[in-house]
Amino acid sequence: MTRWTMVADLERCVGCQTCTAACRHANATSPAIQWRKVLDVESGVYPNVSRTFVPVGCQHCADPPCMHVCPTTATRQRADGIVTIDYDICIGCAYCEVACPYQARFLEHAQHFAYGGTALPNEVERADDARLGVAQKCTFCSDRIDFGIENGLTPGIDPDATPACVNACIADALHFGDIDDPNSNVSRLLRQQRSFRMHEELGTDPGFRYVYGQANGSDRGDAGEIAPTEQAGGLRAKGIEPAQQSHWDWKAAANFICGGMGAGLLAFAAGASIQQAAAFPIGWAALAIIAVGLFFVWLKIGRPWRFIYVLRQPQRSWMSREAWIAGVLFPITAYAIWSQAPIWMIAAAIVGLLFLFSQAMILREAKGIPAWRTRSIVPLILLTGLAEGGGLFLIAAGLLAPLMTIVPAASVAVVIFSALRSWRWRSYLNALAAEGAPTRTLAVLASYRPWFFAFGLALPVLLILFAVVVASDAPLLLAAAGSSVAASGGLLKFILVTRAGFNQGFALAHTPVRGAGAAGPAVKPGWGPAVRQTAKSGAWFGFLTKDKAAVRH
Amino acid sequence: MSFGSGQGVKCYHSEHLYGEFWHRAFTVSPDTPMCEYLVSFGANVEASGGVCGVKRHADARKRGMKRVQIEPHLSVTGACSAEWVPIKPKTDAAFMFAMIHVCLHEQPRTRLDLPFLKHRTSSPYLVGPNGFFLRDPGNGKPLVIDTRTDRAVPFDTAGIDPAIEGSFVADGVEVGPDNERMSHRGARAAPSFGLLVDHVKDYAPEWAGAICDVDPSIIRRIANEFLDHARVGETIEIDGEVLPLRPVAISLGKTVNNGWGGYECCWARTLLACLVGALEVPGGTLGTTVRLNRPADNRWSSVVPGADGFMEYPMNPTGKDEWLSRPSVRSAHRTLVPLVANSAWSQALGPTHLAWMMQNEEFEKFPPASPPDVWFVYRTNPAISFWDTESVGAAIARFPFTVCFAYTHDETNHVADVLLPDCTDLEGLQLLRIGGTKYVEQFWDYQGFALRDPAVPPQGEAKDFTWIATELAKRTGLLESYNAGINRGAAGVRLSGANYDFSLDPAKTHDVEMIWDAICRAASAELTDGAESQGLAYYREHGLRVKPFPRLQWYLYPKLVEAGLRFELPYQERLFRIGQELGRRLHEEGIHWWDRQLEEYEPLPKWRNLTAIWENALANHYDVRIGDYPFWLITARSMQYSWGGNVSIQLIREVAGNVAGHGSVVMNPAAAERLGIADGELVEVSSPLNHTKGRAMLSSGIRPDTLLMIGQFDQWATPFAKEFNAPSMNALTPMLLELTDATGSSADLVKVKVARLERAA
Repeated sequence: MTRWTMVADLERCVGCQTCTAACRHANATSPAIQWRKVLDVESGVYPNVSRTFVPVGCQHCADPPCMHVCPTTATRQRADGIVTIDYDICIGCAYCEVACPYQARFLEHAQHFAYGGTALPNEVERADDARLGVAQKCTFCSDRIDFGIENGLTPGIDPDATPACVNACIADALHFGDIDDPNSNVSRLLRQQRSFRMHEELGTDPGFRYVYGQANGSDRGDAGEIAPTEQAGGLRAKGIEPAQQSHWDWKAAANFICGGMGAGLLAFAAGASIQQAAAFPIGWAALAIIAVGLFFVWLKIGRPWRFIYVLRQPQRSWMSREAWIAGVLFPITAYAIWSQAPIWMIAAAIVGLLFLFSQAMILREAKGIPAWRTRSIVPLILLTGLAEGGGLFLIAAGLLAPLMTIVPAASVAVVIFSALRSWRWRSYLNALAAEGAPTRTLAVLASYRPWFFAFGLALPVLLILFAVVVASDAPLLLAAAGSSVAASGGLLKFILVTRAGFNQGFALAHTPVRGAGAAGPAVKPGWGPAVRQTAKSGAWFGFLTKDKAAVRH
Repeated sequence: MSFGSGQGVKCYHSEHLYGEFWHRAFTVSPDTPMCEYLVSFGANVEASGGVCGVKRHADARKRGMKRVQIEPHLSVTGACSAEWVPIKPKTDAAFMFAMIHVCLHEQPRTRLDLPFLKHRTSSPYLVGPNGFFLRDPGNGKPLVIDTRTDRAVPFDTAGIDPAIEGSFVADGVEVGPDNERMSHRGARAAPSFGLLVDHVKDYAPEWAGAICDVDPSIIRRIANEFLDHARVGETIEIDGEVLPLRPVAISLGKTVNNGWGGYECCWARTLLACLVGALEVPGGTLGTTVRLNRPADNRWSSVVPGADGFMEYPMNPTGKDEWLSRPSVRSAHRTLVPLVANSAWSQALGPTHLAWMMQNEEFEKFPPASPPDVWFVYRTNPAISFWDTESVGAAIARFPFTVCFAYTHDETNHVADVLLPDCTDLEGLQLLRIGGTKYVEQFWDYQGFALRDPAVPPQGEAKDFTWIATELAKRTGLLESYNAGINRGAAGVRLSGANYDFSLDPAKTHDVEMIWDAICRAASAELTDGAESQGLAYYREHGLRVKPFPRLQWYLYPKLVEAGLRFELPYQERLFRIGQELGRRLHEEGIHWWDRQLEEYEPLPKWRNLTAIWENALANHYDVRIGDYPFWLITARSMQYSWGGNVSIQLIREVAGNVAGHGSVVMNPAAAERLGIADGELVEVSSPLNHTKGRAMLSSGIRPDTLLMIGQFDQWATPFAKEFNAPSMNALTPMLLELTDATGSSADLVKVKVARLERAA
C-alpha cells in the first residue's frame, strides 16, 4: 500500500511562507484562503521565550473526521490516503469544517480578488466557480502526484510529482513521500529524527508529521500528554490558540434550538394525546418549529439547491441521518395528527426523539470543537430538548383550555426534565473540565452557569409551584415558567454553537531543537481551567460577547 | 549618488568599511557550511540572507551548529537559534569586549592561536611612547622583539619567534601624522598584543553584564564556548591545500555595526576571530565581496601588498597637499571619511545623510550645498526608506527637476518631472553574474551567468531598462560613449578579451536583444577563455552557464600566506595616524563640527557610553527631557517585504501577515501593562522628532525597554501600501551629526515614548 505523508522539519523551518505563496499560486486560491500556511508560535515568558514556525494544513488523516461527518460523500479518501473533496457534490454545509481539528477547511461564497472588485487577468483565467459555496482544502497537490505516477516519476523526489509547497521550501523543511515504503525519503527521515503528530490524542491518525530533533537527541519537558501552556492575556497566541468557530452561525444554532424544542414539544404532545385529543394539533406546531430550524440550515448552506445530496450518506453521517429522520418525521406526524391515533403520535414522538438524538450526535461528531465533541453533550441536548418542549407545552396548554387537565402532570414532567437537564449541564461542565477544553470555552460556559440555573430551573420551578399549588394552574404563570425553561435551553444551544464553540487551536508536542541543545517542552496555548476574568467573558453577560478573533473561512 | 536612499542606517555601513579594510570583506559572513559555533549579534540572517542563507543555516542546524542570537527582540533568526540573549540595544560592544577579556584574562594563552597571532597579525609589532609603531630607523619597518635573541628586529626578519607580550626597551622611530618622525633611543615599547591585554583588563563579564543587562555568567559561558569550539591547532585540506580549521564565527546586525559603537563591534568581532585564528579560514569569519578595493570581481586579486606587511588600502588621502578640502560631491566622502575610499561605490556609502542634511542646514566652513539641477532616481524611494523621512520628502519636493525610473507610483516619484516606466524584473531582460563570492552567504563552488528572461510581456507603457537607456543616450547625443561603456563592461561583462571581441559598433543604435546577445556571447567567451561564444539563444534555452569556482578562494588566508602579509589587527596604528591628519586638515579649514567623529580614530577602541550618546544628542538637540522617552525603538528586516519594493503586492502582505509583528508596534506585555496598553490597541509612538501610529502587539520575545517596528512603511502614494496604516520608524529617526560616527553612518535607533490612543475593538 501507499500512504502519502508530509513531514515538516521544525528545526529547519524559518516561517518564510514561501510554501504559503507557492500553494496560493499553484492552486489559485483566493486571497486569505491558505491551504498551506506557517504558524508563528511564541511560548514562554520573558526572557525564557521560544518561537517556532509550524507549517499546517490538511493532515490527510487516516481516520478523517471530515469524511465521517460529510453527509454527501463529497469528502472521500483515496487508497493512497489523500482526502479529497468533490466540488460537484458538496453542499457547503460546513460540517466537515467544524469536524476538522486542524482548521484546514475553507468555504467562500463569492470570488475574492487580490485588489478588491477588479480581477487581475490571471485571476480571471484561474477563477473556479466550482469552488464557491463548497468546502475546499489542501489536496496534497494530488494532480501533480497523479501526473507524476502516470509518467513514472516519484512523488517527493521528482519535482513534477511533488506538492508545490514542498518544491518551494527554501529550507528543505518540507518533505513528502510514501510512509508505507520503508525505503522512501520520508521513512528514512523519520527513522533518523524524532517526530510527533499534531493532536495525536484525537485519534485521527494524521498523515502529517513534525520533526523536532535527531533520533538520539534529548528532550526538555514531557513527551507524553501535552500540558496546557499558560499564556498571559492571549499573548501572541492569535491564530494559534482556540478561536470561536465561524462556520456555523446563528442559523445553524437555530436548527439545534428549533429541533430540540420541536422534538420535545412533539413528545409532550404525544404523551398528552393519550388522554386529550386536543393535544394532536400541537404536533403541527412541533413540525413547524422543526421546519423553521431546517429552513435556517437551508439558508446557511453554500449550495442550497443541492440540498437533496444531504441524504447520500446515512451509513456514516449524522447530518444525513438527521435528514432521513426528518423525512420520516414529517409524514408520520402528519399521519398521526390526521388519524388522531395516540399510538401513531407516540411513534412520531419516538421519531422526533431520534431526530433530536441525531442533532446531539451531529455535535458529538464535530471533532474540531472541544465543547461539542464530548460524550456528555448527548444527554444534555436530549434533556434540554425535552425540557424546552415541555416549556412550550405549558405555553400551549394555556392557549388550549382542554389541555389544562393534564397541566399538573406536564408540569411535573417539566420540573423533572429541567432538573435532569441541570444535572446533565453540571455533568457536562465537569466532563469538559476533566477532558480539557479551551479556556475561553470554559469561561463562556461558566459565565452562563448562574443564569441557566436561575432561569432554567429555579425560576420555572418556583413559578410552577406557585401556579399549581397557590394559583390553581394560572395559565400565565405556567406560560412564564414554560418560556423560561424554553428560552434558557434555547439560549444554551445558541451559546454552545456561536459563543462557546471554540475550535481545537494548534498545539505542539515539542518545540524543536535548534542546532544544539535539547528539544523544548510542549506548547498548547489557550487551554486550561476556566478564567472568569478573561477580558472577553468576565462580564455578567460574557456568554453573549462574540469572540472577535473568530477564524475567517 | 550622494543622496542616500537608506544607506548608513539600513545597510551594514561600518562593516563595509572596516571589513573591507581588514579582510577584503565589504560583506562579512560566517563560513556557514563549516561553522560549528556562531555568535550572532542581531544579524537577522534568516530574514536577510536570502534563499542561500536560509538553506545553509538550516543545514548547519542539522549538523549541530550552535547559534547564539544576541539581540533585544526575538527575531526570526533568534527564533531559529539555539539560544536567545536579550541584550540592551547598542551595548553589543561591551559584550564582545568582555568576551575578549575572558579569552585574554581568564584562559591560558594556549587556548589562543598563537602562531596566527604572531605571524598573521600585527600582534608582535612594538608600539612606541606616542602610540605609533616603533620602526626601524633605516627601512621604516615596524619592529618586533625576537624572543630567540631578545632583540628588536623588523617584523619580516626570517626565522624569528616574535614576542607578543611584555615590556621592552628598544631604539627606533615612530612615524606620526604628516610623516612626523619621532626618534627614540632606549624607549619603553610594548607589543600591540600586550597593549590589547592591558586595554581589556577592566572589561570583565561583570562589567559588561551591568551595561548589557545580561547575566555575566552568560557572557562568560559564551566566550568559553567560543574558545571550546575554535579547535585551535586543527587543520583541514581544501583543494589540496592544508588550512587551519576554526569553526567559530561572529556576525553583526546592521544596527549593531552602524553608527557609534560600530567601530568597536567590527573591531571586536574581527579581533575575536584573530585570537583563535578564525579569520578567513575554513569554518571562521569570511569576507564575501569587495567593493572599495580593486579589482572588485575577485577578492584574491584585490590583495595587494602594502606598507608594514599589511594589504594596501585605497584610503582617501589626508596628507597636507592631498586632502580634498572642497568636497566634490554632497556626501563629502573624500573629505570626511578616508576609509570609504573612492571606488564607484564610495559616493553611495556616504555619509549620504549629510547630503540630505545640507539641503536644510549649512555646515560651518563647508560650501553650501545646492539642490541637484537634475536628479535621477532609479527604482528607489528615499522618501520612505531613508530616516527622518519628513525632511527628506520636503527636500525632494524642492528639487527643480527629477527623473524617475519606476514601475509603480511611490512617494519619491510622486514629485517627478519625468517618469520613465521601467519593466519589472519579470518583464525585463538581463544577464546576471552569479556564483563565486558575493554578498552575505554568497560563496559558491561555481561562477558564471544566469539570464533573466521576460516571463510576461511588459504591462502598460513599460519599457525594458536597456531600451530606455539606449533611447536616452541617443536623444542626448551620448550614444557613442554609451556604447563604449557597454563595451567596457558597464552591463556586467566586458565585451572583448584576449581572444574574443563582441564589441558593439559605437556609432549605431542597438536594440535590446542585440545588446544582450553581445553580452551573452562575451560571457560565454569569458567562461571558456574565448573558446565558445553562445549568445542569447543559448541562455534562453539553458538559463545559466557556470564553471567551477575554487573553494580555496572562499578564504583570504592562503592568499595572505602566499604574499607574506598580515591582517591589520589588533592595533589600529594607521587609523590613529590618519585620524590625526584628518583632524589637522579640518582644523586648518576652521571646521570643528567633525571633532567628535575624530575621537573614534583610536588604536584600540575603548568603551563609550552609547546610551548616553543617544540620550544626550536627542535631549540637547530637541530640548526634551529624555526621561520622557523611556523606550528604545528598533526595527527588523522583513523577509517577505525584503527592502520594501514589493509592498504593492497583495500576496506579500497576506503571507507577511502570518509572521508576527508586521504592521504592529511590538512591545513587552509587562511594559504594556504598566502603561495600560492591551494587545491590539492603537498606540502612538513618539520620538523627539516625530510620531507614528500602529496597533500594539504584545510579545514576550522583546525586552521591556524596547519597541519594535518591522520593515518600512508610512506610504501615502504607493498603491495598496498606502492603505496599510502600518507604523514606521523611519519618520522618527533623526539625522543628527551628534549621532553620526566617523565612518559617516548612524543607527536605526531612537528613544521614544508610547501612549494608547484608543481601546481595542
